[in-house]
Amino acid sequence: MTDMAPGAPILSVRHISKQFPGVKALDDISLEFRPGEIHALAGENGAGKSTFIKVLGGIITPDQGQMELAGQPYAPSGPNDAIARGVRVVHQEFNLLRHLSVAENLLFERLPRKLGILVDKAEMRRRARDLLNLVGLSQLDPSTPISSLGIAQQQLVEIARALSDDARVLILDEPTATLTPRETDRLFEIVHRLKDQGTSVLFISHHLDEIFAHCDRVTVFRNGKLVATQKTAEIDTDGLVRQMVGREVIHAPIARNVDRSATPALSVSGFQTAINARRPDIAFDLYPGEILGIAGLVGSGRSEVLRAIFGADRPARGRISRNGQPVAIQSPRDALRQGICLVTENRKEEGLILPMSIAVNTTLATVRNISSGGLLDRGKERGIAGQMMRSLDTRMASLQQAVGSLSGGNQQKVVLGKWLLRDPQILMLDEPTRGIDIGAKAEIYTLLRQLADQGVGILVVSSEVPELLGLADRVLVMSRGVIAGELAHQDMSEEAILQLAYAEYAKEQVTRG
Amino acid sequence: MTEMTAKRSPMAAISGVMRNAGIAVALVLLILVFSLTTTTFLTPLNLTNIMVQITLNIILAAGMTFVILIGGIDLSVGSVMALAGVVGATFVSNPELPTWLAILGMIVASCGVGAIAGTINGLISAWWAIPSFIVTLGMLNMARGGALQFTQANTVYIANPAITKFGTATVAGIPVLFLVAVAIIILGWFVLNKTVFGRMLYAIGNNEEAVRLAGHNTLFYKTAAFAICGLGAGIAAIMYMARLTSASPIMGNGYELNAIAAVIIGGTSLAGGRGSMIGTLLGAAVIGVLGNGLILIGASDFVRQIITGAVIILAVILDAVQGRLAAKRKGA
Repeated sequence: MTDMAPGAPILSVRHISKQFPGVKALDDISLEFRPGEIHALAGENGAGKSTFIKVLGGIITPDQGQMELAGQPYAPSGPNDAIARGVRVVHQEFNLLRHLSVAENLLFERLPRKLGILVDKAEMRRRARDLLNLVGLSQLDPSTPISSLGIAQQQLVEIARALSDDARVLILDEPTATLTPRETDRLFEIVHRLKDQGTSVLFISHHLDEIFAHCDRVTVFRNGKLVATQKTAEIDTDGLVRQMVGREVIHAPIARNVDRSATPALSVSGFQTAINARRPDIAFDLYPGEILGIAGLVGSGRSEVLRAIFGADRPARGRISRNGQPVAIQSPRDALRQGICLVTENRKEEGLILPMSIAVNTTLATVRNISSGGLLDRGKERGIAGQMMRSLDTRMASLQQAVGSLSGGNQQKVVLGKWLLRDPQILMLDEPTRGIDIGAKAEIYTLLRQLADQGVGILVVSSEVPELLGLADRVLVMSRGVIAGELAHQDMSEEAILQLAYAEYAKEQVTRG
Repeated sequence: MTEMTAKRSPMAAISGVMRNAGIAVALVLLILVFSLTTTTFLTPLNLTNIMVQITLNIILAAGMTFVILIGGIDLSVGSVMALAGVVGATFVSNPELPTWLAILGMIVASCGVGAIAGTINGLISAWWAIPSFIVTLGMLNMARGGALQFTQANTVYIANPAITKFGTATVAGIPVLFLVAVAIIILGWFVLNKTVFGRMLYAIGNNEEAVRLAGHNTLFYKTAAFAICGLGAGIAAIMYMARLTSASPIMGNGYELNAIAAVIIGGTSLAGGRGSMIGTLLGAAVIGVLGNGLILIGASDFVRQIITGAVIILAVILDAVQGRLAAKRKGA
């Protein structure tokens, strides 16, 4: 281990191990965190990062090993104990109370009182306002209920809540996954300020550029083991990725121009979603074998287009054609009958049945194939699900394992497997690599390109512009619910995409001004 | 434990088996305690008695298991049973019909009324996404009122020798009514564990949205679960008439609570997605043995209520602990 900051470590971890059934989640981890440093934790999903921070946050008790916090033995009995000792974790899954206000959530553990029992609302609003200012949400009314906030705002509220007590060790689990670049910058300003005040920040991210830009040291986990800890200045991206995957990474296959003289596999015109209700003018064609990207800011209506085509929420308004033939899609059932599949944005809420097995989830959309006369054929189910999971190289203990116990990348493979068993002609994917490690990402890119080569039309929504640049043959850019422009492969660039993404918002400012 | 739970994960399977084993152990302990503290409990007569007593609850609870598995609840089964009973009784008590037609008419009418009431419960709660608690509370009143209106509040007496015979028949000393109830449990187990339909109910109970987005008609499955529960109430009505040779518009009052209790004690999660038919059978047996045994040791009716209520709460606590353990494992 390389020493970085001078002085004693605030938190040291010695020989921590944790065994789960069938998998050693943490294997003899020893690590030190120093005050005033931003320490990155990198590794593929399933490498043990989440388990590690749950150990630090008192959610999981390790089987072996000791921890020390500021020289004192540290064995938190639970999350509250950890917080009381100054160790605060901001989890990827939010722990917000959806029906309570922002202010109540921010100050839940220490509501200001008056007369001993009454909540001091004015004081609560004042403190909440201060915390919101810290994370750049000064526009947000503290009395807004959490349920009406977008996912990015919820993330920022969660971070603000962690700032409400002066944590000595602040652990951020993929805080930027849902944030826009501007919000991300703001977050790092806060993190740097905390660092200057002597807080030790542990930062988990799949975005290696963020690690290199902001972190002092980086530790890499692989398969529950600590591979290396080093100064970020002493390693480059390729080296870090090699440590993470333990092998060379396949880069996304090169996109190409598609023959557009063919009949489009999917045509959409006069389309209307909840977001562009006033301008029913979404129209585009998707050609067989094409990977068409949809870029745009969060909330620009990209997901709504995919969901409308899939019939996910209510019957789509507008015209949809398959291979030149108009079709009516009233429900996901109709869409699937047309060979259209959708990998939704929230795989945990909408894509998977987490407590049920991999076998059940993989065959969920094709139960006809694993049954006869309404009776399940478990042998057939095992055969079909097993073959699909093997072909996607899913890492699992058994087909009977609950899907919820898999890592993000492997969960996504189960979702993909479920649709591939239906033999889709149109595959739509909403943020298909969100929260997924580099290795699994590359595998998904390769898979999508293979499917396109077999003639499947692919529609990908992604907030990661570099991902679209590498993957898509063509990109549509949405802005405020409409398609602001289209970029052919040779015209695609980060600048061009962002310019179009802001186009409609800019218009709004002009008309207002 | 059933194979369905085993499908989920090795650990879930173990906890599922443990859970059913836990209820079975509790049942054996209860039987042991009452056998040692009374001389009357472990007699053929008393055991036959218990079997007859729990028959109706087993059938109602079997139907209720379907509904609770999808995260619903059906408060109307007691009233629907009464309505199905009085409608069916008009056939079986009609002396002008030949016996076979009288019996057939009763079966079709009772089962039909139960299934229709259940279908209405299911359609309304699934189509408008209304909590089934409220819809079935409404149905509870409608069916009870309907039964009273239909009979003008009179009890219908049944003097059909065939049905009386069915109600008192035994095979190897075991009441036929009880055997029918066990057969229904086995059928329910088969449907839940061996069929696509059962798979979908478990899936809907765990994550309805994922099932819908996989192209399945969740409205159909949810409605069917309620229809099955209503059908159970219809069958229970027939069993009731066979036993008591009458149908009263006020019969089955409060039976829904016993059925729900049996399902919950049997380890089916009120949140849906987790549970088993075998557990429900054991749950109904626990309630029956407890009630019977407490009478034999001389406990008052009030004490009996207190203890039965405490057992229900205990079962829900066990369910909550199990849920928390599952969440912790998921966190892994």
